[in-house]
Amino acid sequence: MSASQTIFAGWMEIPESSVRDQTRQFADEEALAALVSQYAATLYRVAYSVLRNPADAEDAVQEAFLRVLRHRDSLAEVRDQRVWLIRIVWNIVLDRKRRAKTRPETDDVTELARVLPSDGLTAEQIASAAQHHAHVLACVDQLPTKEREVLMLSAFEELNSVEIASVLGITESSVRSRLFRARNLMAGLLEHSRSLR
Amino acid sequence: MNPSTSNQSSNRSGNTAASDAAESTLRLVASLSAPDGLEERVQAALKSAPRAGQILAWPTLARPVSGWGRAAAAAAICFVVAGGGWGVVARLQPGQAGSAKGPGLASPAGLSSSGAMRTPQTLHRPVVPAAVANPVIATAQSAQPVHHRNKPSAAGKVVAQSIPGEAK
Repeated sequence: MSASQTIFAGWMEIPESSVRDQTRQFADEEALAALVSQYAATLYRVAYSVLRNPADAEDAVQEAFLRVLRHRDSLAEVRDQRVWLIRIVWNIVLDRKRRAKTRPETDDVTELARVLPSDGLTAEQIASAAQHHAHVLACVDQLPTKEREVLMLSAFEELNSVEIASVLGITESSVRSRLFRARNLMAGLLEHSRSLR
Repeated sequence: MNPSTSNQSSNRSGNTAASDAAESTLRLVASLSAPDGLEERVQAALKSAPRAGQILAWPTLARPVSGWGRAAAAAAICFVVAGGGWGVVARLQPGQAGSAKGPGLASPAGLSSSGAMRTPQTLHRPVVPAAVANPVIATAQSAQPVHHRNKPSAAGKVVAQSIPGEAK
């Protein structure tokens, strides 16, 4: 075998390091697939609660997992993957909402009535409930940002106050005080709107 | 029970009821189910995402076995680059024959006039048009000798011009 053939064969050869890389890559992909099947629905609900648009929420979930794919090397270092993922998608949806400044889809009562569960309710009851929920969500949108964020995250049963604090990057006591203020403000807004009717 | 205390408690219960209503709505929104096929779509998006670039491996023969091989390769590259640079610099030494030289100024004080003299622009002198003579006087004058002043015209021809003051 001549020297050139040997060099060519050397180029064609798959080195051990690349085999190790491929093995690691497959492991990363499997881990990522497991994360998707485990947390995609949770992330979607978090995204939907802010964006209130199914297509935008799904885009946000995809973007969150693409970010995870880019940082898959540091996946093993993450202590609580669920909170980490929720934090990623939370930042994405807040950024999107800030940039888009569009009217949420659920301002439309009809759309809200379509989305919300309506088992065993008459058409009138569905319409009335949708109107009520739309009104409440409009009041939530009037809250200050910090209070609104805590109130929205507290609606998720999966998240306790420590995890909410971790998602928002604040202390647990701040979460509690903001939640207290948010509830009071919310009650005031609802009372005010009720007195105007 | 104190009336103010009962008012406060009723307000508090009203606040609690209102905030409960709000939270129940938020909980309802938060508990909405994800659309069908979400996971598959996310998986497909992840598979179609661009991967990071891979570095080519060294060929078997040229693969550096130790750090010395890498150091030797780096030294060879440095030698070639420095030698090439030195060759260019050595060829372009200032004052050497054949070296590139920039154009110098013709006069150290600045640009010269190349011996040209400046001549001012001159105007043609005014030419008085010929006076229309009286036919009677003209016939009288024709009998007498007339002084003519010959002068060249602009075209170079000799023009006879009568001077009114000299007619008498």
